[in-house]
Amino acid sequence: MRHIALFLIFASWATAETVDLPLYRTPPLYSTDRPAALEIPSVRLDIQPVDGKTVVKLEWLDRSRDAEAPAPDGFVDACAVMLPAGPVTGDVFPSLQMGDADHPVIIYYYDMKRGAAVMEASGRATTRRTGKTFTAQAAYAGQKWQVTLELPALPAGTPLSVAIWNGAQQDRDGRKYFSLWHRTR
Amino acid sequence: MFQHQYAMVLDLNKCLGCQTCTMACKKLWTDGDGMDYMYWNNVETRPGQGYPRKWDQIGGGFENGKLRPSEIPSREDYGQPFQYNYEERMFQGGLQVMPHEPVENTPNWDEDVGALMLGENYYFYLPRLCNHCTNPACLAACPRNAIYKREEDGIVLIDQERCEGYRYCMRACPYKKIYFNELLGKAQKCIFCYPRLEKGEVNACARQCPGRLRFVGLLDDPGSAVHKLVHVYKVALGLFPEKGTEPNVFYVPPFNPPRRGNYGKSILDDPRMPLDYLVYLFGEQVTDVIRRLEAELKKAQDGAPSEVLQLLIGRDEEVRYQIPKRESLVQITNAQIQPLRRA
Repeated sequence: MRHIALFLIFASWATAETVDLPLYRTPPLYSTDRPAALEIPSVRLDIQPVDGKTVVKLEWLDRSRDAEAPAPDGFVDACAVMLPAGPVTGDVFPSLQMGDADHPVIIYYYDMKRGAAVMEASGRATTRRTGKTFTAQAAYAGQKWQVTLELPALPAGTPLSVAIWNGAQQDRDGRKYFSLWHRTR
Repeated sequence: MFQHQYAMVLDLNKCLGCQTCTMACKKLWTDGDGMDYMYWNNVETRPGQGYPRKWDQIGGGFENGKLRPSEIPSREDYGQPFQYNYEERMFQGGLQVMPHEPVENTPNWDEDVGALMLGENYYFYLPRLCNHCTNPACLAACPRNAIYKREEDGIVLIDQERCEGYRYCMRACPYKKIYFNELLGKAQKCIFCYPRLEKGEVNACARQCPGRLRFVGLLDDPGSAVHKLVHVYKVALGLFPEKGTEPNVFYVPPFNPPRRGNYGKSILDDPRMPLDYLVYLFGEQVTDVIRRLEAELKKAQDGAPSEVLQLLIGRDEEVRYQIPKRESLVQITNAQIQPLRRA
């Protein structure tokens, strides 16, 4: 019922904020790897406060639906919204590489096979699952993913960054698309 | 730094290719869900495609000290698990025993095929397992720090709680001995039967081997057969040493007699299989190893005792295995530890 409610929100959504965020590829992990093609140039972000929460809808173009991950060399599509774990002062944002020791981050992650998970990190290679989950829903149609994430209320000016993993490009972990920090209105 | 290092030496001259080790491992460790295609221990015919297919050609390991990962082998490269149509054959009649579906590759697809040299066929069996390397590429590649090397015995393990199934370890391992469990979303591999070793029992693959070709013990224990074969007699070599991971599974290379009609000649003068192929697998040192073995054989033929050949015969378990009790393992002092690296 909760999932149905989320989509109903979007069906009649007078969007508070819509923005297209350019996406970038992380560099290859190994010098012997070729840089991955930029197949997903941007992600559309809709942000809507609803009943003391913030519902975020992500929409991006993806030519293949990778939700089953045929082993051993298959990977699933996924997305995440990263937020600073604490208050941000001025223009000093956490590192885009999963925050840093002084500026930890919280990550709302959704993959098309295993669903939603809340993670924490305070720098590269420190990401860990908290064991918590959150309400989310995904749909694939017309070569596009639409994923709705129900997050805690985000005050105006909260910086957030989006990450997209394209399973067809063997994305996982730090191999991904990412946006720069975007402040909510 | 780890204090001790378990190692295994396999005498390829004694391997029957019977797959008893493969099945012992399979029944003990990879009989669970999502593990159908996994053979932590496999025996492949060499020359041959190997398991997974062309694992030795696709990359992995280190180059100039840097990781050189390969692609991840595909499901087809590992070969498909299949059943035979026994029920149709037994109860419907008139049918041959066949796989229940078309099969295009399996772990032992080219068993006993080998290759030709001077018009004659040659091959040998190569049993393979995780090499529990001194410098594991899988460990270096894991961004989750989920792979660790046990300080007390050098066994390399994957923390199943930390593993997120990213599979960088599979790309990095030059031996392609890490597998992905699709159902669990975790990487899994040979654990060197550490629960058995901790009870003083040798690895299942070694225990069940009818050819008695496996030797197990601490590489740094001067009394162990593995120490003697690797460091004292220097007749056992790791696979693909140039990959830079310093494997701790060693092989006594195939030591066939010269071709027919060449009595008295050196094996190196008239080999039954191309020396280049052995150099490809074991590195340049293989020539020296064959010379040493040949000299020992000559010594024995002349009636002199050869401790290395007696050791390689390894009739009794006490000769082949030196498994310390876990309590005694931690009591070995640093002063007793021999240098781990070959001179």
